[in-house]
Amino acid sequence: MEKQLIISISREFGSGGHVIARMLSERYGLPMYDRNLLEEISKQKCLDSNTLYKYDEAKRNKLLSRTVRGYSSSPEDNVAYMQFDFLKEKAKSGESFVVLGRCAESILKDFDGLISIFVTGDLESRIRRTMERENLTYDQAKSKVAKHDKTRKAYHNNYSEGKWGDSRFYDMCINSSVVGVEDTCATIADFIDRKIKADNK
Amino acid sequence: MLIAQILAVVIFVAMFVLIITEKIERHFVTLGCGVLTLVLVFGACMQSWDAIWETLNVQNIFTPSFWIAAGEAGESTSGINWATIIFIAGMMIMVEGMAKAGFFRWLCMTLAKLVHYKVIPLFIAFMIMSSVLSMFIDSITVILFLAAVTVELAQMLKFNPIPMIISEIFCANLGGSATMCGDPPNIIIGTSLGFSFADFFTNTGVIAAIALVAVIFFFFFSFRKDLMKSSAEEKIDIASLPKPSEAIVNKKEFVFSVIIFLAAVIMLVTHAETGLTVAFIGAVIAVVTLLAFWRDIPELLKKVDYKTLLFFIGLFIVVGGLEQTHVLELVASFIEMISGGNLLLMVAIILWLSAAASAVVDNIPFAATMIPVINSISQTSGLDISVLAWSLALGTDIGGSATPIGASANVVGISVAAKQGHPIGWGQYCKHAIPATVIVLVICMVSIFIRYSSHLV
Repeated sequence: MEKQLIISISREFGSGGHVIARMLSERYGLPMYDRNLLEEISKQKCLDSNTLYKYDEAKRNKLLSRTVRGYSSSPEDNVAYMQFDFLKEKAKSGESFVVLGRCAESILKDFDGLISIFVTGDLESRIRRTMERENLTYDQAKSKVAKHDKTRKAYHNNYSEGKWGDSRFYDMCINSSVVGVEDTCATIADFIDRKIKADNK
Repeated sequence: MLIAQILAVVIFVAMFVLIITEKIERHFVTLGCGVLTLVLVFGACMQSWDAIWETLNVQNIFTPSFWIAAGEAGESTSGINWATIIFIAGMMIMVEGMAKAGFFRWLCMTLAKLVHYKVIPLFIAFMIMSSVLSMFIDSITVILFLAAVTVELAQMLKFNPIPMIISEIFCANLGGSATMCGDPPNIIIGTSLGFSFADFFTNTGVIAAIALVAVIFFFFFSFRKDLMKSSAEEKIDIASLPKPSEAIVNKKEFVFSVIIFLAAVIMLVTHAETGLTVAFIGAVIAVVTLLAFWRDIPELLKKVDYKTLLFFIGLFIVVGGLEQTHVLELVASFIEMISGGNLLLMVAIILWLSAAASAVVDNIPFAATMIPVINSISQTSGLDISVLAWSLALGTDIGGSATPIGASANVVGISVAAKQGHPIGWGQYCKHAIPATVIVLVICMVSIFIRYSSHLV
């Protein structure tokens, strides 16, 4: 039986992390979980996924929320933990998958099959990429990159043991601006292949 | 004394800020601040062993009147209110026993069956049940079970559970205001100022009953579109729904837990006549529950929320610091000054100030702080302490309903809903809860003005 493989991709905004995650999911024939996690959860519980999306990958507002006996009034907290539980269940069932964001490198750290990657990028090239992808002006793209990075960092650091982008907490940190998104993906895949080989020895 | 006063205030404010930020667990915050109060305020500044002794209040536990009193004499407003802590601990153990036996789920399912699983009758029945149960059982437990069953029924009967959960939360807080043991602020007020269960029931209880009728109408009209839409859905096969009897985990334990609960209610209702204090009642129900569930004693004791009990102990010490340094008398003088000696205005300020504060901060520390304040106001203005006590109790209990973080029941109810995929944001919650809170507070104010008019002129 093949060993479990969980590829966790964390990323800076505009670094191409999402594209890389999708390419890896196709390459290894694994399902990919990102925002679509909420759709799966909604289907299971017969809910409207749109109500959950607005709290996805957001940090709780500490002044506007309280915790009593482990119960939090923050919708952000509850949506985050709902996704963490879902991912843990998937991992426990032995399923292999690619997961984008969602603090997966931290919440799934006890699973041997996990390989965690952080994709970064030069600020300038991330802004250019965002401009092209979303048809924005330079200033709009710059502000969008800064805003999303700030939100992701706050969300991640709220629920994870390690800091967002801190190399000590990932198996690999890679700058996608150096060789481009496709070659970065190939480099990551090579690293994953070597891990699979090492695991199967 | 000035330095002691400043230090006491600084420690108190720091405690509140740390509780709000949740960086450190709240029982560590209050205990840490409590130790600072004992060492810095009483020890270093006041150099008063008497202040430390009075605040720790341990000697009180070893007096017969702590357990059996001829009439409810009142523990004292100063220091750790051990009666509150023992009573809450006893109730926690009893409630754990009831939950373990499946009582709450059985009750919810039975009521749902009685109304034939029809959404609107269910909506009204659950609001009433939430109020009535919260009169005797802590509102967190009531909401924990009620919200969970509501979400479960909502999935099966295909209705939106959010309107029902918001209404249940509101009614739990309202029901808690009706009795001495319904909400922690009431227990603290009752034991500190010497009021009985009957005193609360015949005063705040009557006002809460009037308010409940108004609230049922308000929430019905507020949520009628959602409810009507749900009612129009396709027919559900009732036979496929879980039977109430399936909720009972162990029949023998179920019967025991019901008997213990009824005995607790009888003891509470009659404690003014029997002379049994709430500390005694709390201790008895804890011991009897543990005997009835003797096989599960470790499990039941493990489930007691010690963090809340420690939170109370630290909190009482910090408030004791404000009291011993006479800071709260200054607050009382300030309230008297801005009301210009007008008793009606004074009562209105206590009611609305308590409500506004409780909507944004934990109502337990607020109530504990305000008790010495209303005591001082009563002594200097001559206004009957009971009128101020009812205003404080209603303000703190009802005000907590206004926002998602105002009371513990709100947090737990919202969390249970969100965990099942029904997040409730501030906007959605406050849109309905704030008008309901204002309506109830107006009812409270008018009722107090009319009923106690002889004291207020």
